[in-house]
Parts: sequence; C-alpha cells; structure tokens
Amino acid sequence: MNRFGWIVVVAAIGILMGWVVSQWMSGADRVSLSDTPRGGDFSLNAASGPFHLQGQRGKVVLIYFGYTFCPDVCPTNLALMAQALNALSEEELARVQGVFISVDPERDSLDRLAVYTKHFHSSIIGVTGEPDEVARIAAQYGAAYRKVEGESRGGYLVDHSSNTYVIAADGSLHAALPHATPARDILELTRGLLAQTQSQAIDLY
Amino acid sequence: MKAYFHRTILCVLPLLLGVISTPSLAADAAGSVSVGDPYVRAVPPGQPNSAAFMTLRNGSTVPHSIISAKSSTAKIVELHTHVNEGGMMKMRQIKQIDVPAHGEATLQPGGLHVMLIGLKGELKPGDNVLITLLFEDGSKKVIEAPVRKMKMKMDMKKMH
Repeated sequence: MNRFGWIVVVAAIGILMGWVVSQWMSGADRVSLSDTPRGGDFSLNAASGPFHLQGQRGKVVLIYFGYTFCPDVCPTNLALMAQALNALSEEELARVQGVFISVDPERDSLDRLAVYTKHFHSSIIGVTGEPDEVARIAAQYGAAYRKVEGESRGGYLVDHSSNTYVIAADGSLHAALPHATPARDILELTRGLLAQTQSQAIDLY
Repeated sequence: MKAYFHRTILCVLPLLLGVISTPSLAADAAGSVSVGDPYVRAVPPGQPNSAAFMTLRNGSTVPHSIISAKSSTAKIVELHTHVNEGGMMKMRQIKQIDVPAHGEATLQPGGLHVMLIGLKGELKPGDNVLITLLFEDGSKKVIEAPVRKMKMKMDMKKMH
C-alpha cells in the first residue's frame, strides 16, 4: 500500500474510534428507563419505623417514586392515587397500601415524608433510605431519576420517571402505570387484583 | 349618519374610559393579555414549593410574552415547564411564556407553570395569592389567584 493508502486507513480508524468513544460517553450520561423491570421486595424506613414490602403480602400495593420538592408531577400522581383509594370500600382499603418512595433522601426527612403523604391519604406511607439503597430499588422497578443542578435558583431539581407500580397480593410486579393515569384506571386495576386474591383465597379452603 | 355616529361615540366614550381604568393601556402587553381561571395549588404542610396555573389569552394582533413573575408569598418565583421525555419528567426553567397573537397559552399541571419556591407561609385553600406578571414591553399585571386544594375524590358520575 502506498503512503496515501495508509493515511486513509489511519484516518478511518481514528474516525471510527472517535465515534465509538463519543457513543460510549453519551451513553454514560444518559438515564434510561429499564426495559424489563422485575420489581421485588425491599426494605426502607418510614417515620413510623421500618417498612418491608414483604410484610404487605395479601395486599395490593401501589408504589410511586418521587420527591417532595416536586411541585406538580408528584402531587398530581399522588392525588390520583388518593382518588382511587378514596373510592374503595373500607374492606377493600384494608387490603391496599400506597407507598411513596422518596428518591431525594438528602432533603426528604422521614417526618417530612409522613406529613407529605398523609396530606394525600392516610393509606399512603412515605419511605426512603440510603441513596444507594433507593437507587437499587428504583433500578429493580425500572424507575429512573437524576439530580439536575443549576436549573432553578431554588436548589437542584430531579428528573424522574413517573410511573405508578402496581404490586399484586403475592408481591409480584403486576403493572407500571404511566404518569397521570386516571384514578378510574388505578381503581379498576386494584379492584381486579383484589377480586383475584379473594377467589384464590377461597380456592385454598 | 355622521351626527349619529358622533353622538354614539360621545355616549360610549365615558363607558370605554371606565373600562380602561386599569393602570395599563389596551395597547401594551398587560392590557392585551387577559388571565383566566388563575389558581395556586394547595400543598401539604411544610412543603416549600407550589405552582400557579392559569390561561393567558392575547386579544391583540401582536404576540406577547411573560418574561418573569413576582409574588410576596414565595422567596423565588420562576417560569417553568415540564417535558416528558420517554417517561422521564423533566422540569425546566424557561426564559418566557409566549402568548401568540389572538392565541392562548395554558399553564396547567404537567406543563407550563409559575413556580413558587420557598413559600413564606402555609397556603390555605381559599386564600388568595397575588402574583405580578411582567411582560416583554415592561408592562405588568397583578393577578389574584385563589389557593385550590387538589381533588382527592373521584367524580363518581364518570364511573359509569
């Protein structure tokens, strides 16, 4: 190969490597929603003490990841969850648990979380934990969040996914409802799961 | 015909002047943009932030923009929007909210809002929050936005 040929080959390799590195760099910066959330058990803390998802077997659990600094997206989803909870009968409500997991343990104390969630519904518990624990649980559920500095003079903001995760009575992840899913849909799904567990319970006896 | 027209003008003029008694003239942005159904969301006790929502209508042939907002109820007031990028909700500060000529801009949950950061006191449903909107031409509009509690009950009629 002549000298020109070599220059072309070296340049091509250089461009290819540059492209690979840039792809890799942008990928590292990107927050993506996990494709196959598995869900599963976790333990976190509430103002009232430790909270174990495992302890909720037999109940339908509605989980939302958010932060109390959030002025709009989180309250919207929690209000919709509250609307669904308020439409349940007392017997049904006894078998449903709402969980608000704060992805901002730095600013959300357990006491703040308790006051915050109670505002929406007494059946919603506010929990959080060490940042790495919360990160692990979020990944488990396919929830994503990222701290964003310098956007607001009021402090950092948090970009976050806004699904409501529906956990069946056996602890399995049944559905991930997208942001602003109407209360009616949350209610129907919850009732459907409650009816299912009721009939399973009857089958056992 | 002309005389009749003049008489009409003379009769109507005081009425017109009565209507335009607000500090801003109809020609400026604040006079051209009307605000419909403003409200501030009631927040849980201790919650440091809230947001104001409203519909802005521009009755003029010129596009206008809100470039900032102020309120004595919060330490910081910013114009924000939400972007839903593949399920990721991103809240971002924006420089201005544009209201197109003869058009509308809707500030609503999940989208554009006036963000109230560092509330100085608890916002109780029924309270009124004064917010000053500053337009691109320097004109201002003070609006009174009632604090509204979020709906925690479903409209049962819609269920069937």
